[in-house]
Amino acid sequence: MYYLTISKEDWDKSLGQLLLSGTIYAPVQNEFGQDYELLKLSDIQNIIYNKPKPATPLKNFFLPIKENVTSERDAEKPRIIMGIPNCDIEALNLTDEIYLDDIFNDLFYRKRRENTILISSDCFGIQEHCHCLSYDIRPYAMDKADMSVIRKDEEVILRVISSKGEELAKKLSAAVPLTDKNVLTFMESKQIETENLVREANKGLPDYKKTGVLVQKAEKEVWEKYSSNCVSCGACTTICPTCTCFLLIDKPGFEKVKQVDACQYPGFERVAGGEDALFELHNRFKNRYMCKYVWKPQKFKAIACTGCGRCIEACIGKINKNELFMELV
Amino acid sequence: MLNDKNIYKPIRARLADVIDESPLIKTFVLFPEEEFSFKTGQFIEVSVDGIGEAPFTPSSSPLITEKLEVTVMKTGYVTEYMHKLKPGALMGIRGPFGRGYPVEKFIGKEVLILGGGCGLAPIRSLLYALESIKDQLEKVILCYGSKTPADCIYKPLFARLNSIEKFETYRTVDKAEEGWDGPVGVATALLNKISVKIENSVAVVCGPPVMMKFGTIRLLELGYKNDQIYLSMEKNMSCGLGKCGHCMMGEFFACKDGPVFTYDELKHTPEIWK
Repeated sequence: MYYLTISKEDWDKSLGQLLLSGTIYAPVQNEFGQDYELLKLSDIQNIIYNKPKPATPLKNFFLPIKENVTSERDAEKPRIIMGIPNCDIEALNLTDEIYLDDIFNDLFYRKRRENTILISSDCFGIQEHCHCLSYDIRPYAMDKADMSVIRKDEEVILRVISSKGEELAKKLSAAVPLTDKNVLTFMESKQIETENLVREANKGLPDYKKTGVLVQKAEKEVWEKYSSNCVSCGACTTICPTCTCFLLIDKPGFEKVKQVDACQYPGFERVAGGEDALFELHNRFKNRYMCKYVWKPQKFKAIACTGCGRCIEACIGKINKNELFMELV
Repeated sequence: MLNDKNIYKPIRARLADVIDESPLIKTFVLFPEEEFSFKTGQFIEVSVDGIGEAPFTPSSSPLITEKLEVTVMKTGYVTEYMHKLKPGALMGIRGPFGRGYPVEKFIGKEVLILGGGCGLAPIRSLLYALESIKDQLEKVILCYGSKTPADCIYKPLFARLNSIEKFETYRTVDKAEEGWDGPVGVATALLNKISVKIENSVAVVCGPPVMMKFGTIRLLELGYKNDQIYLSMEKNMSCGLGKCGHCMMGEFFACKDGPVFTYDELKHTPEIWK
């Protein structure tokens, strides 16, 4: 890992150059908030730096809502995704484990991962429900991304992390090694500042492991209480960077369409004979918590909640999982 | 090294024959158009073109690879369409998936099999596999229950098994009809009739959920240890690959870690035992 620096003007020019040979997605502000957009030359000026966080989780770039997984298609084009918060980068640890396993690797996921350069963005400040640090995830990328960007006024600092990041750095002819200690100090102080904000906002929130223990012990009454406002809309799973359950739907010609599904929808586990382990709402609701904090950690190395807080923002029933955990503590 | 195989794409299989087993159950004889083999107890996803896909454990011998059979009860959307298919139709298959019966661990032992209804389908495949290694087994006992005598599938199977050295079969029905002079009651009650050296035995249970539960409870009462009982779990596996999440059972995916589990592995899964 090493640092480069480049003027904002040259960085913007470099993005313009990169647009000639590939696709870039970057977060821009629109009337609905901040989200990834397919970058146009005219939008380069409007890219948002270091502000948490795009509305859409990163997973959608690798696992589309709906896709035909049997049809022939052209090779995936190389692309760059910019401005990814580290919580979403870390979520890839789990999706990689699921979709790139030794026995059954998902060709479509793998090709997209291979053809994508991930440029993270250190978070300066937090959103209301950010709680990454509670689950040992830092608000800045140090290892899983290819590169991370930090904007300081009219200067852009690049943390070059992976070999893919190095390849990209070679194309940035105006970038030079960062030597100014003041800039490093600025960056570190921003990291500490953000970490303090996250800690302050989540005082008393149990860590990932403790949450698993609490969830496992929780009585039926807790699940009934918190699920009483749930309408099984599946917004929490759709917006979650690590929820990737799906259904295969058949089309004529033995084609299969893979479509996002959710354990929160009625009938998710129903078998043809009628048995349905998740028939009752409170059981469905509990299932998601058991999956994230108890079962997935038993099965996988990666954790299944990155503390992004999107499920809390997305819930139309205003169900706040962290309130539930605080009640269990 | 990760390969470029598309894990979602089915291979084609020609439906050669449809055999009526009972009023609601038919056996479909399929000839895969590409090389295909499975281990007994593993399952496959069978698709009806344009309609849907459902998981079934083949009921045929794992030693025969040019064809395979699935025995299917008409009980849902896909199976209803399957039951309308005629020989000659083209179907899709994916798999085989998951962990089947660890037949190699049964060597030198008495194998007790408890089955009910359509659960005899995977068991028939297991029986073929056991027959092929019968010299290395002590005994094979099949206890099977069906709702009525007419609902019993593979009727000729029982006479054939009884003629094989070391094999014993016992049948019961929930409700007798004219001409039935055998026992009436649940299959679990058949366990009182058999003689088995439990310390040198393994038990296999495959049937409807109620039988999985009470059959296991009875086997434990008889003295079987948790890891001597093998259970075939039925969940609605969609992908078969340990990805789609539909068949999650606690820390396990039934499709990848099962469908055959020991009771020891599942003893803490509340949905089965509640």
